[in-house]
Amino acid sequence: MTSTASEPGVAGAAVPATPAVTAGTAGTAGTVGTAGTAVTAGTAGTALAAGTAVRARGLRKVFGRRRRTVAVDGIDLDVPAGAVLGVLGPNGSGKTTMIRMLLGLCRPTAGEVELLGSRIPQDAGDVLPRVGALVEGPGFHPFLSGRENLLRCAAFEPLVPTSRMSSIVDDALARVGLTDAARRAYRGYSLGMKQRLGLAAALLVPRDLVVLDEPTNGLDPAGTRDVRRIIAELRDAGSTVLVSSHLLSEVEATCTHVAVLQAGAVVAQGALASMLEGDQPVLEVITSDADLALATLRAAGVPARPCRGGVEAELLVTTAPAVIATLVRAGVSVFEARRRRTGLEELFAALTEEGAA
Amino acid sequence: MNAPLPRLVRSELRWVFRRPRTIIALALLSGLPVAIGVGVVLSGGPRGEDGQSLIAQVAGNGLVLPIAALSSALFLLLPLVVSMSAADALAGESAHGTLRGLLLAPLGRVRLVAVKSLGVLAVAVAAVTLIVAVGVSTGLLIVGNGGHGVLTLSGTSLPVLPALWRVALAAVWTVVQLSAIGAVALAVSSVTEHPLVVLAVTVGGLIMIGVLSVIPALDWLHPVLLPTGWIAITDVLRDPVPWDGLLSSSYRAACYLLIGLSLTVARMVTRDA
Repeated sequence: MTSTASEPGVAGAAVPATPAVTAGTAGTAGTVGTAGTAVTAGTAGTALAAGTAVRARGLRKVFGRRRRTVAVDGIDLDVPAGAVLGVLGPNGSGKTTMIRMLLGLCRPTAGEVELLGSRIPQDAGDVLPRVGALVEGPGFHPFLSGRENLLRCAAFEPLVPTSRMSSIVDDALARVGLTDAARRAYRGYSLGMKQRLGLAAALLVPRDLVVLDEPTNGLDPAGTRDVRRIIAELRDAGSTVLVSSHLLSEVEATCTHVAVLQAGAVVAQGALASMLEGDQPVLEVITSDADLALATLRAAGVPARPCRGGVEAELLVTTAPAVIATLVRAGVSVFEARRRRTGLEELFAALTEEGAA
Repeated sequence: MNAPLPRLVRSELRWVFRRPRTIIALALLSGLPVAIGVGVVLSGGPRGEDGQSLIAQVAGNGLVLPIAALSSALFLLLPLVVSMSAADALAGESAHGTLRGLLLAPLGRVRLVAVKSLGVLAVAVAAVTLIVAVGVSTGLLIVGNGGHGVLTLSGTSLPVLPALWRVALAAVWTVVQLSAIGAVALAVSSVTEHPLVVLAVTVGGLIMIGVLSVIPALDWLHPVLLPTGWIAITDVLRDPVPWDGLLSSSYRAACYLLIGLSLTVARMVTRDA
C-alpha cells in the first residue's frame, strides 16, 4: 500500500482524538482507548465479560443450483463483546448475506456461527431474544399505524412482558422520535420515518447484541446523527453492535472495529485505530524551517519529504520522540507534530481496488 | 424462550381482521345469501317440482337458504377468501419484509406455521359463520319458512331446532373442507414471496379440477380430487342424514390438510428469509 504524500490527513479529522505524538511510539499509538475489548456486562441479564459476541468460521453461501453465485466465500469473523463493528464493503460484497447467516435467517452452505455463545441456527431460539436487528431495510405492514406495527413486533418478542407491551412500545417510539407520527398509517411514512420505526423495533428491549444493516439509508443529517447517538448509547450500555455500511464516514464516526468485505470475503479486520495506522506510519511536523528540518532528517538517515506547512518523516526506522529530539537539537522550531492517520477511505479504496485489479 | 402462545394468536387475529381486504371480502361474502334470498322471493315462489337444485328448494323453505349459500360459495368464493388469507400469511409477510422480523423475534418456525394456520382457519370460520348467520336471518325474515322448520329433500318436515342443527352441521363440514384448501394454499404460500401466485395456484387448481372431474376417461382420478365429495353438503337436508358422503369427504379433506401442513412445515423449516 502506498501512502499519498501530499495529502495531510483530511479524512483523519473525523477520527476521535488524534493522539499527541509524545504519547505514542510506533508500536503503541494504535490503542487509543477505542480497543473495545474491555467493555463488559450484558444488559439483558447476561454478563459477557470480555468474551466474543459474534464468532463465524468458514462461513460460505452459494445461491442457485445451476448458475451458482458465491455470495459469501469463507468468512471468519470475531467481534469482541462490547465492540462496535463496522462491516464495510461496496454494494454486492456480501454484507447483508453474511448478516442474514449470522442471525439464522438463511442457512450457510458451509461454516458455523456462534452468537453470544450459542450456535446458530440450532440454538437461535435461546439467543435471538437478546439480539435486536434491522436487516435489509425496515419491514412493516402499510395498513397498520406505526404503533400498531410495533405492538405486533412486541407481541412476538419473548422478553416483552404482556402487561408492559404498550408502555414499551411508546418508549421505543419516543427514543427514535416518532411519538407524533405513532398513530399514522405506516403507508404514509417517509423513508426516514420507516427507517426509524425499524430501529425502534430492533431496540424494543435492552439487547446484548444489535445488528443494524445500513441503518442510515434514506436518513437526513438529523436522522444520521440520531443513529450515531443511538449506537453510542448502545455502546455505553455495554451492548455489542454490528453495523454495516457502504459509507466510510459512518464507520469512522461510530465504530471501534472494522471488517472490510469484498466479493464475499473479509479482506481486512481489526480495531479501527490500528487499521487507520496503515502499515507506513508517518510523523507530520509543522515548522517554519522546512528546509533545515529536511536536511537534518536526511542527515540523520530518516526518510523525509516536504509537505504543506512542514515536513513528513517516515517512522520506519525510528520513533517519533527521536525525530523530534533530532529536529530540536538542530535548532528547528517545531510548532506542532502529529502522527498522520491514513483515512479509512484511503484504506478502503486501497483494499477494494487491490482485489478488483 | 418463547412469547406466550395466546398472545401470539391474539396478535395474529388482530392483524388478520384489521386487514382491509379481509374485511371487504367478508362483507361481500355476507351479501351472497341476501342476494340468493331476494332473487328467490322476486322470482315468485316454487317453480317446477324438479327441485334437485338447492336454490330451488329455498322458496318457502327459508332455512335451506344458508345451506344453499354455503354450497354455492364453496366452489369458488370461499376458497378464494381462504387462499387470499393464506397468501398474506406467509408470501405476503415475506413480500413486506416482515417475515424476517417474526423469525428474528424469534418465533420458532414450526410455531410460526401453527400461528399462521390458526389465522387462516379463523378467516374460514368467520366467512362460514357470516354466511350462515346472514343466511338464517335472511331465510327467516325475507323468504319465510311457512310455519314449519324445514322441508327436507326426503319429503319429511323438521322442526326449527333440529333444522338449525342441520345448518350447523353443514357449517362445520364446510369449515373442514376449507381448512383443507387453506393448508394447501399455505403450502404454496411458503414457497413463494408473491401472494398472487398463491391465489393463481389455488383458484386455477380448483378450476382445473372442475374440468378434470367432468372427463369420464379420468374417473379413476376422481376419488382423490377434493371437490368430488362437495355435493355431500345436500345430505344434511335428507332425513335421516346419510353419513357416508359427509364422512368420506371430511376424511379426504383431512388428508389434504395433513399433506398441506406437512409441506408447509417442511418448507418453512429450511426457508431462507
